Amino acid sequence: MMAFDWAEPATLKEAVALLDPEDATVRAVAGGTALMLMMKAGVFQPTRLISLAKIEPHYSQVRIEKDGTLKIGAMATLSAVEQSADVAEHFPVITETLRTLSNVRVRNVARVGGALAHGDPHMDLPPLFAALGARVVARGTAEVREIEVAELYAGYYETHLKRDELIAEVIVPGLKDSRAAYLKCTSRSADDWPALGLAVHLDVEGRDVIKRARIVLGAATDKVTRLKETEDALNGATPTDPVLKRAAATAAEEVSLLGDAHGSAAYKRELLKVYLVRAIRHALRGKHA
Amino acid sequence: MKFTGELSVNAPREEVFDKLKDARFFACCVKGVRDLKELSPTTYAAHFETKIAYIKFNFEVTVELTEAQRPCRIAAKIEGKPHGIVGRLSATSAADFHEAAGVTTIRYEVEASLTGRLGSIGQPVLKAKAKEMEREFVENLRSGFLGDVEAVLP
Amino acid sequence: MSEIGRTLPRLESRAKVTGRADYAHNLRVPGMLWTKIFRSTVAHGRIVSIDTEAAKAAEGVFAVVTGEDIKSVMPEPYFGPAFHDQPVLALDKVRFVGEPVAVVLSHDTHLAEQAVQLIAAEYEELPPVFDEIEATTSQAIVHETLKPAGTFADLKHLAGRKNTNIALDYQLRRGDVEKAFAAADHVFEHSFRTQQVLHVPLESHAALAEPGNGTLTIHTSSQTPSFVRMEIARLLGWPENRVSVKVPFLGGGFGAKVYVKIEALASALALIAGKPVKVALSMEEQFYTISKHATTFTIKSGVTKDGRVVARKCDVYWNGGAYADIGPRVAQKTGFTAAGPYDIENVSIDSYEVYTNRPTAGALRGFGVPQLVWAYESHTDLIARALNLDPIEFRRKNILRDGRPQATGTAMKDAAIDKVLERLAEAMGGTFDRGSGGMRRGRGLAIGFKASISPTTSCATVNVNADGSIALYINTIDMGQGSDTAMAQIAAEVLNVGAETVRVVHGDTDLAPYDMGTLGSRSTFHMGHAVKLAAEDARAKLRALAAEVGLPKGTNYDIKELFKKRYGMQAGTIVGTGAYVPSYAPPEAKTGQSANVTPFWMVGGTGAEVEVDTETGHVRVVKLVNVADVGRPVNPKIVRTQVSGGATMQLGFTLHENMVLDGGQVTNASFADYKIPGFRDIPLMETELVDAEQESGPFGAKGVGETATFGVSPAIANAIEDAIGVRLTELPITAERVLRALRDRDGHPLGDDE
Repeated sequence: MMAFDWAEPATLKEAVALLDPEDATVRAVAGGTALMLMMKAGVFQPTRLISLAKIEPHYSQVRIEKDGTLKIGAMATLSAVEQSADVAEHFPVITETLRTLSNVRVRNVARVGGALAHGDPHMDLPPLFAALGARVVARGTAEVREIEVAELYAGYYETHLKRDELIAEVIVPGLKDSRAAYLKCTSRSADDWPALGLAVHLDVEGRDVIKRARIVLGAATDKVTRLKETEDALNGATPTDPVLKRAAATAAEEVSLLGDAHGSAAYKRELLKVYLVRAIRHALRGKHA
Repeated sequence: MKFTGELSVNAPREEVFDKLKDARFFACCVKGVRDLKELSPTTYAAHFETKIAYIKFNFEVTVELTEAQRPCRIAAKIEGKPHGIVGRLSATSAADFHEAAGVTTIRYEVEASLTGRLGSIGQPVLKAKAKEMEREFVENLRSGFLGDVEAVLP
Repeated sequence: MSEIGRTLPRLESRAKVTGRADYAHNLRVPGMLWTKIFRSTVAHGRIVSIDTEAAKAAEGVFAVVTGEDIKSVMPEPYFGPAFHDQPVLALDKVRFVGEPVAVVLSHDTHLAEQAVQLIAAEYEELPPVFDEIEATTSQAIVHETLKPAGTFADLKHLAGRKNTNIALDYQLRRGDVEKAFAAADHVFEHSFRTQQVLHVPLESHAALAEPGNGTLTIHTSSQTPSFVRMEIARLLGWPENRVSVKVPFLGGGFGAKVYVKIEALASALALIAGKPVKVALSMEEQFYTISKHATTFTIKSGVTKDGRVVARKCDVYWNGGAYADIGPRVAQKTGFTAAGPYDIENVSIDSYEVYTNRPTAGALRGFGVPQLVWAYESHTDLIARALNLDPIEFRRKNILRDGRPQATGTAMKDAAIDKVLERLAEAMGGTFDRGSGGMRRGRGLAIGFKASISPTTSCATVNVNADGSIALYINTIDMGQGSDTAMAQIAAEVLNVGAETVRVVHGDTDLAPYDMGTLGSRSTFHMGHAVKLAAEDARAKLRALAAEVGLPKGTNYDIKELFKKRYGMQAGTIVGTGAYVPSYAPPEAKTGQSANVTPFWMVGGTGAEVEVDTETGHVRVVKLVNVADVGRPVNPKIVRTQVSGGATMQLGFTLHENMVLDGGQVTNASFADYKIPGFRDIPLMETELVDAEQESGPFGAKGVGETATFGVSPAIANAIEDAIGVRLTELPITAERVLRALRDRDGHPLGDDE
């Protein structure tokens, strides 16, 4: 590991100012769980790291607004969100997802902002937040803008954040009466990155008609991917076995999957079909879960 | 890592063969290749730069044409050394050409491996990157045949 | 109260949980140089040149050392327990991706790392071979000449050979298998494979060598300090008394730290530099240092119509990787148990240790036995199914019982195979929920056995100080298995004191006498005997002292008073010594027959209940019952954790662990991508110790470290077939493999990867 500069700005504004749009080797570090792996491996050699550890404490807050909107500061640890009673009550799907996300050591250190900005398609929060219609608040030197998590990713490790932007906060709209589920499949140890992660978010009409579905796939493509054709196949439908089977077939056709150490593309296609049906059933079973 | 694929171009296979055998044309189809030098009629050196998000990789590459059976088959051996880190990129690639009704089908097979630090980790990333490069290559090749070849040349 | 059978917490537990225990990895001394290793990027090639100029000129670099430089202090710089085939740094050839080629020394580890990136080597590539079967006929020859070491008594027969990748071909012949096959009612043949996996102790290898005045001190994370001293002295051409090897606690070993791994390199570098030098490997570098053999095992059995196995032929190929390490002993010692714990009249075994261009394979918890049990217990179930026999009844009919000759001809003794089987039958018997819909449950079991390594020696010293306190000096290394505590219990039992009052000094060749090594579950038996003998010697000397000072025989005396009486004050020491080597009859070279091939047998078995998700292939182990014959347990609590720990490790090897190679490069060389079981992977686990006693063992005890690894893999595969009717013959049993097997059976196979 080569020597590099280490900055500890006291505000997010200062942190943003320390970024260098011309130099990709200047990076912000939140929990560092992902970046440290890359640095240890020697693939990433920073010239400057900007620690966000000392920015304003309100960027670590987790709170629910009166209208049910969840706001998570980018520097909140995954554990803080996992242990939030408010989140458990209003967004049980987030709590459930966090409980099996990697392991407790990682969750105690990793931050929500980092988990979203890293852009590894194998992570759990991006597909879930994308399905829930969450937005990140990105603060740049010139402007503050909101980006849908579903639109955040450009490719493997690549986001649409500008080089002088940092995620300040994540805004998750209230679930209200909608149903959501995130199911994943790990093919090595249970705390491994998944072979496939699938988030579904359903607005349901009456007892069992899906009014609007949002389906987001992780870990099986080079970036978090919304399955729009599959959503269309479900919108307005009653999720009977044949409907789900057709939706699963659509999903398997709709995306080009990427094989990796967790499973071949052919295997992941089978997983996608199975998990689509299971995730929808799982979402419909509980009120929120 | 092994990649196989197939693409067709609207050109007779002699033409396809000759173009692909032209290192200059070939190099232009691979994004990030520059400073191509001819070392001998069958060996070339070049600089290859690619990036994954904010991480850049630079290689000094040599390419050796190991087989050229006009107009059926071309094979090459590629070796690269990454900058600033111990490692080695090695690959063999082969393309077979079949023509039917003026359309040439190219079947290609690339087997690549990366040893050293870069190869010991981050395989999923590299594989995703390689897939992306494969897509770009195929697109560039197509457009190289569709319009005039010069379109993709710098 | 007896000290034997006492559940005493580990003596070092407080030091460990408070972070005070010493580890070689944490050791630093003034003026010490750090090292970083430049490793081969080709799997097989001749070294044309190594350019170190740029690295030498880099900031903070003390020196850059190559294989040729090593010769200045070690004229013949090749080491290894079975063959002297491994160069300290590559010479002439490289044989796997990751092989050490050059080293940068610097006062700063990060500067050393930077400088390594400036080294460039040119190789003339040679065709590599990675598969153990291909390697037996391949034109690619990993070693042009084989160089047997001749160090160990049991490996003396190895012969040097040219132009072959077969380092050792072991054979056993008993009866006439071909004739028996011809006469048998049924003949079954199956092939099984296992993958290359890794020990991954959480503490990577670390050694610090310090040159002295004509001496060398090596602090190392080794399981075999005595061997390290012997081997380094040989390499340097020094007498052993000028080399000291000191070993603190180990952060796990599992066989990764036996014999010489990085100690020769640290020693040579320290002598070249004239300064203390530390070689400490990263987690990634463990993957290039030592691993567990991948294997291919073809097993053929002749069976009578009433279910008696009358003949068995075993062909086992061990993928040894680039250097022999202890692989030849794996092929032989483990090889002779390849027919399983069964009473079979006609047996033929061929076991081949094969060189390939993979990272080296050596000893890993079980020493090859888990690979064999994987095959023979899968095979056993397949036969039982084919003959429509209850798999337990089939085993019951065929197991080796005490007094019956094992395949080597050695009569079984104190091997509770029957008890282990019966206990498993009980645990896995009865009805259970077989699942419904896509979730199917099944049960399976497997039993295995292992011979102890023989003949090997252990020595111990017990000091009785003038205040009556007792210190034990041994070179058995506590690496988490609890040997310090067990040895203290044995000494305490003889000397009639509480085990917690005994101080155990381990791992110092200057203080403690020879021990062959902490490996192969041999310590409790071998060192246990030596400690017992040393304590008895001390006790006899105490009694003699009592007589000398005029105490009548049988008097209860205070030890302190005894010394005072003899020396006039608190002075003097009593030194008790003990040495133990079991008797052994070497196997006949052509037939492998021996009247006494092992001092004891380890017996273990596992029962598994699994739930298979037939839509995804995912296997959930619902319950794992591990039954072991450990003789009489010295410390039941530690023994139980050894059993559950061994089973957990094998569970990872069964379901997902796999060293993945691409072009010879390990592509998952980190914990991020090489996943070992985590808390959420541990099933409900039950540990059962059968009531047994090893008559020849110290206080009836025997080894336990490996016993629970034997049956795990085949028990799970057998349970999977019970659940879904599909047989897996290759490890690891990943969800994808299970689904593919299901789809193949159902006639719509899953397509290839794209």
